[in-house]
Amino acid sequence: MAELDVRDLTVEYDSGGYMVRPLDKLCFAANDGELVVLLGPSGCGKTTLLSSLAGLLTPTSGSIRLRGEEVVGLSGPALARHRRETVGVVFQAFNLIASLSARGNVMVPLLLGGVPRRQAAKRADELLGVVGLAERTHHRPGQLSGGQQQRVAIARALVHGPLLVLADEPTAHLDYIQVEGILTLLRTLATPGRVVVVSTHDDRITHIADRIVELAPQFATADRPPEELVLTDGEVLFNQGDRGDLVYVVEEGAIDIYRLRPDGSEEALDRIQAGNYFGEIGPLLNLPRSASARAAVKSRLTGYPVRAFRQKFPQTIKHAVGQETIPAAP
Amino acid sequence: MLGITLSDLRFRARQFLIAVLGAGLVFAMSMLLSGLANGFSVEINQTVQGFGADAWVIAQGSSGRLSALPPLEEFSVIGVLSVPGVRSAAPVVVQPKEATVAGSVASAVVIGSVPAVINRVPLQSGRTTSASGEVIADTRLGAPVGTDIVMAGRTFRVVGVTSGRTLVGGLPDVYMSLSDAQAVCFNGLPVVSAFITHGTPGSLPKGLVSMSNAKVEAATLQAMKTGVSSINNSRIFMWFIAAIIVASLVYVTALQRTRDFAVLKALGCSSVRLFGGLALEAVIVSVAAALVGMALSNYMTGVFAQPVDIPINAFVVIPVSALVVGLLASLIALRRAVSVDPVTAFAGA
Repeated sequence: MAELDVRDLTVEYDSGGYMVRPLDKLCFAANDGELVVLLGPSGCGKTTLLSSLAGLLTPTSGSIRLRGEEVVGLSGPALARHRRETVGVVFQAFNLIASLSARGNVMVPLLLGGVPRRQAAKRADELLGVVGLAERTHHRPGQLSGGQQQRVAIARALVHGPLLVLADEPTAHLDYIQVEGILTLLRTLATPGRVVVVSTHDDRITHIADRIVELAPQFATADRPPEELVLTDGEVLFNQGDRGDLVYVVEEGAIDIYRLRPDGSEEALDRIQAGNYFGEIGPLLNLPRSASARAAVKSRLTGYPVRAFRQKFPQTIKHAVGQETIPAAP
Repeated sequence: MLGITLSDLRFRARQFLIAVLGAGLVFAMSMLLSGLANGFSVEINQTVQGFGADAWVIAQGSSGRLSALPPLEEFSVIGVLSVPGVRSAAPVVVQPKEATVAGSVASAVVIGSVPAVINRVPLQSGRTTSASGEVIADTRLGAPVGTDIVMAGRTFRVVGVTSGRTLVGGLPDVYMSLSDAQAVCFNGLPVVSAFITHGTPGSLPKGLVSMSNAKVEAATLQAMKTGVSSINNSRIFMWFIAAIIVASLVYVTALQRTRDFAVLKALGCSSVRLFGGLALEAVIVSVAAALVGMALSNYMTGVFAQPVDIPINAFVVIPVSALVVGLLASLIALRRAVSVDPVTAFAGA
């Protein structure tokens, strides 16, 4: 049985009056001692997944099992214990408490867990030694470099010997010399008795990973020919939150664009008539569809992969992503 | 949480220091106002008790206010002496008058009586009066021993100086012989303000009533009622200001620490513990401000011209009240601490 088993994980929430679904039936598993890299661009659901694994966010549906124990549905003291004892988190912006020394920061999870102060300090010093900061235990975060702060954050995540270590973009604020040290450290953390999950859009980390989970699907868009589609009256082309690689041009008929509100009602956004295009932002920026599309009447469409669309409509694509030509100075 | 709270206090020391000084000044003002309100009753008590009387015989219909006693015929003392229960009786004159000291006019309270009464006045310097034209003055008159003062066109020499003997909100008492006081206050007519007695009089002759020291003090203080009430209202206002200062500090701290709260929650800290930490900060600041206030108040008594006598209980009430103020002030940040979503900790810098 896998140490970490994520099944059909879906997270949906209200964002500014609309439902968004950053995770849609996500499945992956990791064995004991593995380093798992969650790869994908911003907005693809990496942080949402980490939050769910850490027990900070309750998924809409699905299951997260850690060493056979279900995490989804934990509440009250059990959830607090999961956060305190089972999971260690390394946050993207280090998120050390500015008023505490390196040692103080590392001690926090232990003190919150009721460990006596002296014992907590001893353990913190031990961990700071492991991450190479034995000489900096009394320094505050403001007196440490980014890489050193990240090491303190890692020590804090490890201090209670968690089963699962989560690191959110651990190299985001570091220079390349610091990145090297942090990557080496993360790699050494993935040992039996522990699973390390790292989210990143930095594909350098993939080289040290045991397992890679791509949260943004890759489409074979490069040289596919355009596709012809015929939709019957009311037939749905795609739903809000879906991923897709085609930009559509309405050849005949009309397409309604709408969004789903949290209460299940629809908000009509536009009706695309014959001769116009839609659905370009998602494929261009590799984002989920921000709205749904449905045939208003029987319609015929052409679906273009991005490259083909750009070749056929070079000006419209600039307009689509907000690029305007700046007039030359007189 | 105690360690985190204390570290945060040290980390934001300057911010907290400003709040402690600000709230401390307000607490000091509050203590001074307590002292001011208390000072009115203390000065009356000291002057009234200074006569060493068991009872006061005054004109019927008089409220008993020392500064406004209607005159009585001096010979009425004979009738008072014959009343059962009275072992001895002495006439006294008490009346506010202007005094010119070194060319400056100041308000004072003339107190005249027989030598046995005047000799009771405790002296800070000089001696007691022994002849007409000599007076003992309270230090607040600003006339040291040897100074000549003028009252109602008559010149008196200060032969003794006392302290803590004032009336009507800090007007200095000027003690003199009965005849001098009658000359200054009643153009030499044989009238007096009251008779003080040893022994409590039974039924008095018509037109006279007796009052205990406590009643005379209460009647005299009654004249200051509106002033005392205003001072007490101002004191409550000061408490609000102190609470607002502490609450503002705690709220700003909560805003600055939103990310810390999110991280602590993500690490398994409960909202109750977070709030406990904030409340502790507020209490520490409030109590520190109260201590600063108590220390400052000792050096600020000169702010008021009136006597300021800070009651001992204020030194207990102020820190205890500061605790309450701190706890109430921290409630303003409660929602902030409780509502922080731990997922916020994942947000970038």
